[in-house]
Amino acid sequence: MQKYSVFSLIKNAFKGHKDWEVAWKDPTPKTEYDVIIIGGGGHGLATAYYLAKEHNITKVAIIEKGWIGGGNVGRNTTIIRSNYMHDENGLFSEFGMNLWRNMSQDLNFNVMFSPRGIINLAHSDAQMNVYSRRGNSMRLNGIDAVLLNREEVRKIIPMADFSENVRFPIFGGLMQPSAGTARHDAVAWGYARQADSMGVDIIQNCEVTGFDISNGKILGIRTSKGNIKAKKIGLCVAGSTNILAEKLNMTLPIETHLLQACVSEPIKPILDNVVTFGAGHFYCSQSDKGEMVMGGDLDGYNSYSQRGNLPTLQHVLTEGIAMFPFLSKLKMLRTWGGIMDMSMDGSPIIDKTHIEGLYLNCGWCYGGFKATPASGWTFAHTIAQNRPHELNAGYSLNRFSTGHLIDEKGLGTKTWIS
Amino acid sequence: MLYIKCPHCGLRSQNEFSYGGDATVKRPELNKEISDQDWDNFVYLRKSPRGKHLELWQHISGCRQWIKVERDTLTHEIFKTLKANEEL
Amino acid sequence: MSENFRLDKGGLINRNKKISFKFNGKKYLGYEGDTLASALIANGVHLVGRSFKYHRPRGFFGAGVDEPYAIVQMNRNNQVDPNVKATEQELFEGLEAKSVNCWPNVDFDIGAINNFLNKFFPAGFYYKTFMWPKSFWHKVYEPIIRKAAGFGTASIKHDKERYEHKYEYCDLLITGSGPSGLASAYAAAQNGAKVILAEDKSRFGGSLLTSEVTIGNQSGQEWSQKIISELKSMPNVIVKNRSQVFGYYDHNMLVMSERISDHLPKSEKYTPKQRLWYIRAKEVIISSGSIERPLVFGNNDTPGVILSSAAKEYLKIYGVLVGKKPLVFTNNDSGYETAIEFKKNGIDPIVLDTRKDSNSEIIKEAKDLNINIKFSYVVVTAKGYKKVKSADITKISDDKKNISTIENVNCDCICVSGFWTPTIHLASQSGNKTKFKEEIDAFIPSQSKQKETTLGSANGIFTLEETLNTSFEKGNDLSKQITNKENKISVPTVVEKKYSKHDKFWCVPLPKGKNYKRFLDFQNDVTVSDIQLALREGYRSIEHVKRYTTLGMATDQGKTSNLNGLQLVSDFENKVVPQVGHTTFRPPYTSVSIGAIVGREIGIHSKPTRKSPMHHWHEKNNAVFVDAGVWLRPRYYKHGSENLFEASKREAKNVRQNVGVCDVTTLGKIDIKGPDSAEFLNRVYTNAWLKLPVGKARYGVMLREDGIVMDDGTTTRISENHYHMTTTTAQAANVLSHLEYYLQLVWPELNVNVVSSTEQWAGAAIAGPKSRDVLQKLFPDLDVTNEGLPFMGYREGNLFGVNAKIYRISFSGELAYEVNVESDNGNYMWEKIMEIGKEFNIQPYGTEALSTLRIEMGHVAGSELDGRTIPYDNSLDGLVSKKKDFIGKRSLNKTAYVAPDRQKVVGVVPLDKKTSIPEGSYIVRDAKAKLPNPKLGHVSASCWSVEYDNPFSLAIIKDGKNMIGQKLFAMSPLKNKIIPVEIVSSHYVDPKGERVRS
Repeated sequence: MQKYSVFSLIKNAFKGHKDWEVAWKDPTPKTEYDVIIIGGGGHGLATAYYLAKEHNITKVAIIEKGWIGGGNVGRNTTIIRSNYMHDENGLFSEFGMNLWRNMSQDLNFNVMFSPRGIINLAHSDAQMNVYSRRGNSMRLNGIDAVLLNREEVRKIIPMADFSENVRFPIFGGLMQPSAGTARHDAVAWGYARQADSMGVDIIQNCEVTGFDISNGKILGIRTSKGNIKAKKIGLCVAGSTNILAEKLNMTLPIETHLLQACVSEPIKPILDNVVTFGAGHFYCSQSDKGEMVMGGDLDGYNSYSQRGNLPTLQHVLTEGIAMFPFLSKLKMLRTWGGIMDMSMDGSPIIDKTHIEGLYLNCGWCYGGFKATPASGWTFAHTIAQNRPHELNAGYSLNRFSTGHLIDEKGLGTKTWIS
Repeated sequence: MLYIKCPHCGLRSQNEFSYGGDATVKRPELNKEISDQDWDNFVYLRKSPRGKHLELWQHISGCRQWIKVERDTLTHEIFKTLKANEEL
Repeated sequence: MSENFRLDKGGLINRNKKISFKFNGKKYLGYEGDTLASALIANGVHLVGRSFKYHRPRGFFGAGVDEPYAIVQMNRNNQVDPNVKATEQELFEGLEAKSVNCWPNVDFDIGAINNFLNKFFPAGFYYKTFMWPKSFWHKVYEPIIRKAAGFGTASIKHDKERYEHKYEYCDLLITGSGPSGLASAYAAAQNGAKVILAEDKSRFGGSLLTSEVTIGNQSGQEWSQKIISELKSMPNVIVKNRSQVFGYYDHNMLVMSERISDHLPKSEKYTPKQRLWYIRAKEVIISSGSIERPLVFGNNDTPGVILSSAAKEYLKIYGVLVGKKPLVFTNNDSGYETAIEFKKNGIDPIVLDTRKDSNSEIIKEAKDLNINIKFSYVVVTAKGYKKVKSADITKISDDKKNISTIENVNCDCICVSGFWTPTIHLASQSGNKTKFKEEIDAFIPSQSKQKETTLGSANGIFTLEETLNTSFEKGNDLSKQITNKENKISVPTVVEKKYSKHDKFWCVPLPKGKNYKRFLDFQNDVTVSDIQLALREGYRSIEHVKRYTTLGMATDQGKTSNLNGLQLVSDFENKVVPQVGHTTFRPPYTSVSIGAIVGREIGIHSKPTRKSPMHHWHEKNNAVFVDAGVWLRPRYYKHGSENLFEASKREAKNVRQNVGVCDVTTLGKIDIKGPDSAEFLNRVYTNAWLKLPVGKARYGVMLREDGIVMDDGTTTRISENHYHMTTTTAQAANVLSHLEYYLQLVWPELNVNVVSSTEQWAGAAIAGPKSRDVLQKLFPDLDVTNEGLPFMGYREGNLFGVNAKIYRISFSGELAYEVNVESDNGNYMWEKIMEIGKEFNIQPYGTEALSTLRIEMGHVAGSELDGRTIPYDNSLDGLVSKKKDFIGKRSLNKTAYVAPDRQKVVGVVPLDKKTSIPEGSYIVRDAKAKLPNPKLGHVSASCWSVEYDNPFSLAIIKDGKNMIGQKLFAMSPLKNKIIPVEIVSSHYVDPKGERVRS
């Protein structure tokens, strides 16, 4: 594989950039693979990459209905963090943080991981206490966290509303300095390119139409490009999980919901960090291009449509202006929606299923992007070893029966309430 | 913004309603023996189809009645709305 | 500078009113009715900005929303407006604007060095480099890239403008006032339909303002103005200019932004800058017209290269010449309209037509005017850096593959016309799956998804006659179905020129050995070679191409670049355009002010504020408030220089020693009535309710079906079939919905009604050993003895002429009563309590003292009932009935919930009896263990025990019941604290609960 570097860039520049190789090929599917990963999103591509890299399993196909990276990895607000309260989430995400820190070099693809820090604003002492609980848990798990008072917050983000004319004044905040952002598309492409180079077949525009199962064992899949055999199949399709589950006669503790985000027109740098509003659900960062990247609440009803409605964004932006009054003078340039696999306790599922050889990776709610490397790594492990790694042991499917729920928000099964 | 026909009040904008999820979930009867699995299915499993979905909404800023709405989760088209005690 | 490029006459500007304005610090003159763009062009200013990546000079390309270049920073009424399109901004006296994305100035921009290095910056170059050393991306490369990117600079000052919202319902919403919009609006209005006609620009008429046509016996322009004035006079029609319908949402909800004051030097008092309209329309007519498609050739981004339709608009509407030596480069007949317009104004254009020959009416006219027309000619490249100085042109072979000898012609502008792209955005947003129309090489709407109809050139119809015919007909048909009235009008006859077919050719090949940049996306600097590179590297889906090259992702959202991009991809991939497909159109069609989207809910009004009827009393008495959801509650009452800690301690102590009064109005209250109320409560709460006598209250806990505690509170049996339920402040709304859910859907057989009465009652909790004395004096006729009004008893009384409800319930753990009166009497009650309580040393106490009191009593509250705990965790085992079923009971036997070492609430006391334990600390066995350090549980609530005068906390820890007496550590790494602690019972004060019963 061609190595990307400043030298190869210069070399190619003088050849008019005619010699660049394809980042990934466009193969026709073989009749059989060792492992099939359904879903060419970030998690699926990462899983294939780690299957090849960590477990030396390279006879792998990724089956993607559309184009790779077209789901949530290509339509999110690019935030990467491990600021979780529950141990399962914290340790899993922090493992992921280490993968993020080395990702550009590991993949030889600049994913622009930018550890610019995330600040969760608090607007009351009670909320400061809630954040203390979270931050202390992070610290005891070896994750960086700092509690900021109002003045410390003001030093970092003076453009936030510190005036008198404010409904919920800023009391302080919890900061994870090592959290940040990355270039979302690059993550998908970087994993795809490396997986491809190690022998993984990336098959796009191929829809899974059914499964071949016999005696409780998975044998293969039926697709729009023919039947493909494999003894191990990983489901990695986020918001589409329920559609495939239906073909498997499975009902899962997951609902599919719509989440919108938007960006403003680009402006000169004004915000260096990722900031979340504490008296609602608004978060914001500024992309390298200068756009303010903003998101918040679900539209609030089951949806497979990637189109949302304006009142949700109005509500989100209202909180945006409450936090950053300067946003008022900017213009909303682009909006988009993604479909979220909302689990009943807000945490993901990475597990085996009752069908032998069928593995499940879903339930990422709003947090799928940041989890991409850790999810791929642990899912690859679960598939290769036929048992979960200790990092994803808590993300079991049967936790809903045993009561070992991982509910960061304490909101229970009403997945649409955030 | 959805336009929902409350069977009690008529067409109203979505912002008068709050969502209630899968309307096909049936709570097991009180005091009835039920397996752990059946109970867990009731608590945690939801229908979440792409296409027609029968779901609950409450006309919370109106008559406060819970209603059933048959809606397409892909197009958001609403086919039918029903009172709480009506079936499709 | 004088206006060298303004014609002596013509245009729709008001030549009687001169307007002075400043651009980049220099003063210019324009006229009322100009845009900033037209006024600058009139003054010969073509260099307005720099491009995103290469910082190449950029001028004007369009005359409206499709403008990709001319973005400026404005200063209006001492406020900064970043990213204003000069082509949209109307001129006003004193307007000040400057260029963006250039340093030190637009004329000499250091960033332009990128242009000379552009060979190293192909599409996606940043994915291939900036990776070493590892830390440099965030610390070195990214800051440089960030600084170079972005357009305007935002001010961090608060926006002083006002923005409003309006909700409107109509029969027909019509988006665009060109011929199709006017005709359909007129027909519908005649049928009595309620019509809203929205026009983005300041002038109505759309293409009729600039086209040479006759309708009836009037010019297109005259006809449009006649129709508009008629529509304006009709009561059933709303006509709005400066109004862009930018989003087509579900169920025929559309959103429009109206620019009310942007064209004025400042907004008038109480007048919004912009208004956002949410419009629910029965039918929508999309008459948004079409946008001219550019032609692609070398250096086609040079200032002076402009859309031919824009050049015509500058001429006909503003009386402004984009150049005096124009070259018109076209693949269709539209370019000739511009050429003829130049010629009529004494300017000699040269027309380069990519077609072999054509003899349509308009070409004949051009020939008759002796316009120099060169068929089978193309522009190879524009020459000039900050402005077009000449162009290399050449003859092209019939198959468009080979070009002949290059000739250089002098010119100062190149007007390009690559035929028309229908504006299908709204139809597509509605869900319409568009189709590709071969004859026009563009996408048009197909099957309507919602109630939308696209007409005129937005629907790919480019003759006026057909447009008017179909639009009158559609306007009539759609409206008569709604109004059941038909008042059909005859369609006027149209005189227009017939057009010949356009050439399917957009991208001029490069001459041998030349490597001119040929731009597709002008703002984001995406060139033909970028697209080729993306495809070569395997980014073949149109979405991959878009994302890899950033094609169409600039602030113009690809209005002029998308189709040329698609064409290129399909050419290279040997596909046809519809196979490649287009990327998704999403709202907004054009950028919308965030201030307008938000409206009036800003600052202190960003969320509602709820206040109790006693709020003013609290204010007058130095209450310091705390937000409890949207309620404001007194947190403490400040005496002198007291701080929170001192004040709350004083208040809590006074409750323990004397008597205090606390405003509990915010608690949720629900009235429950009906013969089955007891049975209902018995199912809702975990404990037994069937035998609660009239006049008695009971504490209850309710669960969610998953076994997690949802809320707690007391419910009182007021009469046989009437109960009064209280909930926590936070859960009030949820609990009501929860009850309604079960009554309406699960157990409709129960004859029970519930209604919120939170707003109806003002509540005061009177607590402390002397509370009975206060109560006795408040209600002299009432038997308030322990026998007359026992713990959990309820009585009604008369509080100095006001009906009151008295509940003997206690959250503080002291002898206590809660008195409720109708809200209007709340303040009266409160003042009476204070007046009468004076002799007993009554003091008001706030939520902080309330917390202290409940924590040291071990009463669980929100911080323990956090949506993750079951009753056992909160030592509420005694309230969980074993005999009956209730909501959530079946979940309580889960493995984790019945584990022998299940978490449980305990008390925590620091060994030194001095160091307060911060809330949110964790209890660990070994403070020095290596990370991750296993946690036993967390500290949920802390206080300074006024009973024992030392810190006390509640914690929920693993195996809590067996941990009493253990010496452990409370750790708060955030606050750098490690505190040795002892685990004690959570019931730190009065564990037997004797006081409440005293």
